[in-house]
Amino acid sequence: MITCHLVDGKFEKQSCTDFDGIVTSINRNREVLTALPVDAIIKILDGLGKRVLKNPEINTVPGVSFISLWLRRENLDKICQINYSDKRYIDGFGKTGQNFLMMAQPRGIVCQWIAANMPTLGFFSVVQAILSKNGSIVKMPEEYVPLISSILRELPAISVEYEGKTYSGKTILDAIALVSFEGRTQETSEQFSLAADCRIIFGGSEAVRIISRLPCRDHCETVIFGPKYSFAVFDREFIASEGFRKSLDLVAKDVAVFNQMACSSPHVLFLEKSRYSVETIASWLKESFEKMPPVLRHQPISSGMSARIINARAEYQLADGRNCIAPQDLGWTILMNQEPCLEEPVQGKCIFLKEIGSADEVIPLVNHKIQAISIGILDPVKRESFARQATYRGADRIVIPGTIHDFTLPWDGIMTLNRLVRWVILKHS
Amino acid sequence: MMPCAEDDRSHSSRLRDILLSKEPYSESDAHKCETLMPILREQLKGARENNPQIDHFLTRQGIIVDDLQNLEEVPFMPVQMFKRFDLRTCPEQAIAKILQSSGTTGGTPSRIPLDKSTAMNQIRALKTILADYLGKNRKIFLVIDHEGINSPSMAFSARTAGVRGLSIYAKKTFYLLKEENGKLVLNLPVIRDVMEKYSQDDVYAFGFTYIIWTTFYEQVKKEGLRFSFKNFTLFHGGGWKKMQDLAVSKDEFSASIAAIFGAQPENILDFYGMAEQTGIIFVDCKEGHKHVPAFSQVIIRDPYTLQPCPPGKPGLIEVMSVLADSYYDQAVLTEDLGVLVGVDDCPCGRKGRYFRFVSRVEKAEVRGCGDTFRE
Repeated sequence: MITCHLVDGKFEKQSCTDFDGIVTSINRNREVLTALPVDAIIKILDGLGKRVLKNPEINTVPGVSFISLWLRRENLDKICQINYSDKRYIDGFGKTGQNFLMMAQPRGIVCQWIAANMPTLGFFSVVQAILSKNGSIVKMPEEYVPLISSILRELPAISVEYEGKTYSGKTILDAIALVSFEGRTQETSEQFSLAADCRIIFGGSEAVRIISRLPCRDHCETVIFGPKYSFAVFDREFIASEGFRKSLDLVAKDVAVFNQMACSSPHVLFLEKSRYSVETIASWLKESFEKMPPVLRHQPISSGMSARIINARAEYQLADGRNCIAPQDLGWTILMNQEPCLEEPVQGKCIFLKEIGSADEVIPLVNHKIQAISIGILDPVKRESFARQATYRGADRIVIPGTIHDFTLPWDGIMTLNRLVRWVILKHS
Repeated sequence: MMPCAEDDRSHSSRLRDILLSKEPYSESDAHKCETLMPILREQLKGARENNPQIDHFLTRQGIIVDDLQNLEEVPFMPVQMFKRFDLRTCPEQAIAKILQSSGTTGGTPSRIPLDKSTAMNQIRALKTILADYLGKNRKIFLVIDHEGINSPSMAFSARTAGVRGLSIYAKKTFYLLKEENGKLVLNLPVIRDVMEKYSQDDVYAFGFTYIIWTTFYEQVKKEGLRFSFKNFTLFHGGGWKKMQDLAVSKDEFSASIAAIFGAQPENILDFYGMAEQTGIIFVDCKEGHKHVPAFSQVIIRDPYTLQPCPPGKPGLIEVMSVLADSYYDQAVLTEDLGVLVGVDDCPCGRKGRYFRFVSRVEKAEVRGCGDTFRE
């Protein structure tokens, strides 16, 4: 059984047994969306960002203020620029310098499988489908439907003027359907997959493996945002620098946002041996955790996560050569050891601190599972050398503290919008 | 490594002897702190002296044993640590045997080192608990499992612990199941023998909840068998996660099993216990509440704040005990969720805290895109 939460611009919860009605509606409405100039779409989304920030129902939810920033016109322009090289290609045929014109045509219906670890993930996915003028059917965890619905509900109230014409946010809303269904139901999952001209899959190993094996149409493109792991490295010059203590506040924030459940959440902080002991740095990081706003300091955790944190703490309290700093509650945990390796994520704000001889020691640890490495390396030559080697081995993003979750494209090494369009040509006669 | 000072040992041993000689549910909860804390403090000092890792454990939490005033302040050991560390708290040469419990789901076994006095305390404790539910006379003991479960060659499991522990009051023991080609089937000759000869005797039985339901009950129904005992009590425990998956409630289980044995549903007693705390089982009273005996305490802790929960609020079950001088049994945090129902006022008349088991902690996590670093 499929539960449809949004279709044809209507937020009415209804049950259906197949996707036929939803597909018909999205196909009809995405034609109207295609006719919207991309600049009008960007203006509407920019307006949406401003409205969500004013909506008291959702503006305190972690991640929503970032959505608002992300939807700024300048940012969306940059995203289109980097994906299409020239955003006019998405509106019509444009010159290429060759003997043909080129255009980015939307693929059609983008079916999206949203992972259950980040409440706002589904929204970013939908916006990328919109910026490529695709229709969306989004399979979303039930618990996130109210938040995403609250954001999308603002769209019909937005209208913008562009080149003398008025465009409504309702056109965008009409091209989006939100659904939920039991992923283990093979038949429904297959129907969903077969409805797609393009599939976007967010999830862990098992989910990605199972979904990508579902049957799909021959022309269907599949974009996978699979399981990833992130960490941080600071060198001794950075640790000795004036801004270091402040950067620990940013590390704490990076750890706290999404309660360390995102692929971009750092789990280990490697520290080059410096004038400060790991224990001293841990005590500063403790202060950073303690002064976080309550919404980040205290986040709901499952009993399973609770057990994992309790076990990790006890292990580090018992073992030789390890140590643990933590408050009475399970709000955050600093685990210290000297082993130069990555650690299995505990989540729930458990960060491993490790002292290493040189930042280069972490390079052999990098593989294709590594998404982001937050680096504190001041020397530009050393930074670039580190980045080149780490990305060669598999890392996708080398960032600075406080920006690890900033959703910039490329993401996971993928130019998403580019993958959501077909590049078509028109030869000169 | 140093043994505890002889005087301290004797002092806490004397206090514990007093506790073990009392009726297990006669003390009100308010006295628990006063009676248990002196023993626990001495045990923690011994633990610290005899095991450097436990010393780390206490030191890293800033624990000064003499400053511990309340049971809630005693540092709890997560039950998983029994699989990963040696939690011995006495000199190595004092260890008489090490129980290796594979638990109910297999995997790395817990290691539980026992010295003679701890093993003795556990037997005494279990005797007093069972006597409260069964009386002190020996009875016919039925095991709803196969005989191999008690074989020394088999890994020590929750099932083994249950059979061995509960056999204390056995006059004669019968195994109602047998293993055939790796499957559990009814041991029909034994069942018929029991039906013919012992229907008029006082009988008690033990089995693993899930096995009783899916194997014994199913096959007994199929065979159309029915016992008619004059006086029958069943103790069963474990496997509630699987029972929840089968959507079988405790009431349905009790009524169905009681009917098979010709007993009253209130004589089908679920209990909560674990190999890491052998000697103590928390048995249902007729009200369906699990009672905490005098030499033990149960604290329900909020899964986030870790503070004790008030009655009615579910949390992680912490079990405390003064029985063990040989391993860190003083406070063990389980991976089970329970709820404190009340204190001293159960209609069954037993004093102390009483609680209900809610579920196992859900281990399967939605990891989403944030996952392992391993390729």
